[in-house]
Amino acid sequence: MNVPAEVQFGVLTVVVILVLFYGITFLISTRIGKKQENADGYMTAGNNIGFGISAASMTATWIWASSMYASATSGYTYGISGPIHYGLWGALMILFIYPFGRRIRAVAPKAHTLAEVMYARHGRSSQLMLAGSNVVGSVISLMSNFIAGGALISLLSPFSFFQGVLAVAGGVLLYTLWSGFRASVLTDFVQVVAMLGAVVVIVPAIFFAADFPAAFESGAATLTPQQGTFFSSDAFLNQGAPYIAAVLAYAIGNQTIAQRLFAVREDLIKKTFATATFGYGAMVIGVGMLGVLALYLGIDPAGGDVNNLVPQMAATYLPPALLVLFFVMIIGALSSTADSDLSALSSIVMTDGYGQAVGKENASPRTMLLIGRITMIVATAAAVAFASLQLSILDLLVFVGALWGALVFPVIASFYWNRVTNKAFTISVVAALAVFLPVRFSLVPLEGAVGIVVDVLSVIGIGVVLGLMVFGFFGARAGTLVGAVAALAAAPFAIGTLHEYTTLSASLVAYSVSTIVCTLISMRNTDLFDFSVIKRRVGDFDPAEADDLAPAHS
Amino acid sequence: MSTIALTVYVLIWPAVVAVVLYVIGRAFFTEWLEARREGRDII
Repeated sequence: MNVPAEVQFGVLTVVVILVLFYGITFLISTRIGKKQENADGYMTAGNNIGFGISAASMTATWIWASSMYASATSGYTYGISGPIHYGLWGALMILFIYPFGRRIRAVAPKAHTLAEVMYARHGRSSQLMLAGSNVVGSVISLMSNFIAGGALISLLSPFSFFQGVLAVAGGVLLYTLWSGFRASVLTDFVQVVAMLGAVVVIVPAIFFAADFPAAFESGAATLTPQQGTFFSSDAFLNQGAPYIAAVLAYAIGNQTIAQRLFAVREDLIKKTFATATFGYGAMVIGVGMLGVLALYLGIDPAGGDVNNLVPQMAATYLPPALLVLFFVMIIGALSSTADSDLSALSSIVMTDGYGQAVGKENASPRTMLLIGRITMIVATAAAVAFASLQLSILDLLVFVGALWGALVFPVIASFYWNRVTNKAFTISVVAALAVFLPVRFSLVPLEGAVGIVVDVLSVIGIGVVLGLMVFGFFGARAGTLVGAVAALAAAPFAIGTLHEYTTLSASLVAYSVSTIVCTLISMRNTDLFDFSVIKRRVGDFDPAEADDLAPAHS
Repeated sequence: MSTIALTVYVLIWPAVVAVVLYVIGRAFFTEWLEARREGRDII
């Protein structure tokens, strides 16, 4: 295959693009900046933002550079169904959380973080478990986006990786620091327009520049039968199934989603999250198709690193003007997620750290804002330091996503079932982690009886995952029925073989153990919880709320 | 899959993205105009 030479930017071009991108973003954030920001506004923007801005923000936040690279990698590795098995399940993470989000908003309409609600429901240990997992997820995400920025800038310009990381980190901090979540959400709109607009142009441009559709015929011989079929079992078992298992875990474990659930006007949650599902899915699957095209073209990834596929395709087939658009698309994707992570981390430290330490009545809004801003600076510095280690982000995320699986049932049950206690929550999560870790890292040989036990627990995990998904939309009876049928249907195929897929089975075991233990302990509890208590315990920290944040509709 | 089916399969995603962009953009500017009329920030 005759592949054109790759294009590179000069120093001046990259500096101009970055200064324009972050300069315009900063100017937009100053339009809503206040001399004295409101502490609650800094975290949730007054709980009443509209559909357009919240749908844009949810879409922009969930699309990050790694998701585009990973979708293309999936397309390159597993063939034509690969991007679907990455993007579709990632999109459903947004969709499947909204019914739970509506319930959470109903019991805690003025909350700032999910962990804060967990404190009101249970107490300190449950709160710390959830807040801790949220912090780990956001720091990894922040680090990943800085790495993606550094890698892109070093690939397309003479700048070094670390110079690229510093430029992106400084740019994101510049426009997020003063107004927090409000700046993050408003700038998300501009970034989502740049990202989605770029995909509309770039994917067809590369498609035709690379001599498709004719190349489908000339390149068909390079695909294996599994890569050439839309119903690839390889793609499903290695990419799709672990992601289906992670659908609820990522949504529960991620404070950036919770923050938007608390920020959007309550009657717009469904509309917002459904739109973001389509926006994320189409964008990520669309970019993933570049991996499929690279497979048909027989392209080898630069340096043997599949993460280079997307920038490589762009640099090879796009004219300089469209390459600038591609550059802005990736910078927009990583910046919109990084600013959300900074806002999420500052909210957790402000609410679950300072707010809980001194008590809601004694919390000073000014001190709270100062703590939020210091958190952003410290988190940025930490993420830059970690980024220089260039760890494998996807491995870290798959691991953390499976860990979050241990939290899913106890968290969701805590919002619906009045028997769940702090003891049930804490013991079930610890027990799930105690089983998850040996399975995930094969610390015990998964053979014979141990393998069968893992398979049985995994089958129960399949029932839990699918049952919870259905429960969110159709209630307990339908959820229980679907969960039971799914487990029974999977059992003949899974028992005896599933433990060979350690990533998937470890994740499913985390779900099942936490569900079984939490249920058994909760059923013994006779002291029933009154959910109306949460509304009284969780509320605004800043009395100036009503003056500062006018309602979004009259 | 045939060449035509593959072409549609690849190019349909940018088309869906364009529709979502239109929906989000229209809603945002409606909200922005409303906020401007009422003399407040959109967020």
